[in-house]
Amino acid sequence: MVAHGDSSSSEKKLGNGLNDLPTFNAENLQQNMKTIHYSRTFMSIIGGVVAGIFGFTGLKGFVLYFLVMAFTSIGLMAKAKFSVHSYFDSWNRVLLDGLFGGLMSFVLFWTFAYDIVHIF
Amino acid sequence: MGLGFAIGVFGVLILFHAAYATIQYRGLLKITEEEFSGPPMNVVAELLLGLFFCMWAALAVPGKFLSIHPDSEENRIVSLPANLDFMIFNHRGKVFPGQMDLKLRH
Repeated sequence: MVAHGDSSSSEKKLGNGLNDLPTFNAENLQQNMKTIHYSRTFMSIIGGVVAGIFGFTGLKGFVLYFLVMAFTSIGLMAKAKFSVHSYFDSWNRVLLDGLFGGLMSFVLFWTFAYDIVHIF
Repeated sequence: MGLGFAIGVFGVLILFHAAYATIQYRGLLKITEEEFSGPPMNVVAELLLGLFFCMWAALAVPGKFLSIHPDSEENRIVSLPANLDFMIFNHRGKVFPGQMDLKLRH
């Protein structure tokens, strides 16, 4: 195997025997978080465009957003083969991360698509 | 990953087509002076199809999940970081002549 450089590719969080903190590979965890962030952002944008084309105004659009996010969460679970603990350290990360950041992108593209399709 | 990306592009194209169809439908409604209540059924089907393709691409394109267990197969540490304590200099290189008279090439 090629020798790795000083920046170790697997920094670990170690715990002593008494407290028994969970040890995991932090760099891979970060990579996984980036992956789900990309997925959620892309789906927020696509959901916004779909909401605009449908012509939803008001609460119906937000309902669509949470539906799309729920399906994305299910898809991410399936991608992780439902064994969340071998890829993430808690369920909340997979389910809730990026939910409200995506809301901004959703509203932006929702208004954009609505304007293009229904107003101009 | 190439296939996932192609499916994503295809899904976005389907969405654009659905948008264009909706614009045309609204133009038609303006002529007949009716209210817009919702896109026609085939546009709805197209939107759902495009949404499905884009969701597939959103899950397939960003890359696999990497395991975070430190003792799983693909996370093995097989090399030591460069550390002077482990470098060996007592090898056969010491029989080479000490001074080299060659200049460095530019």
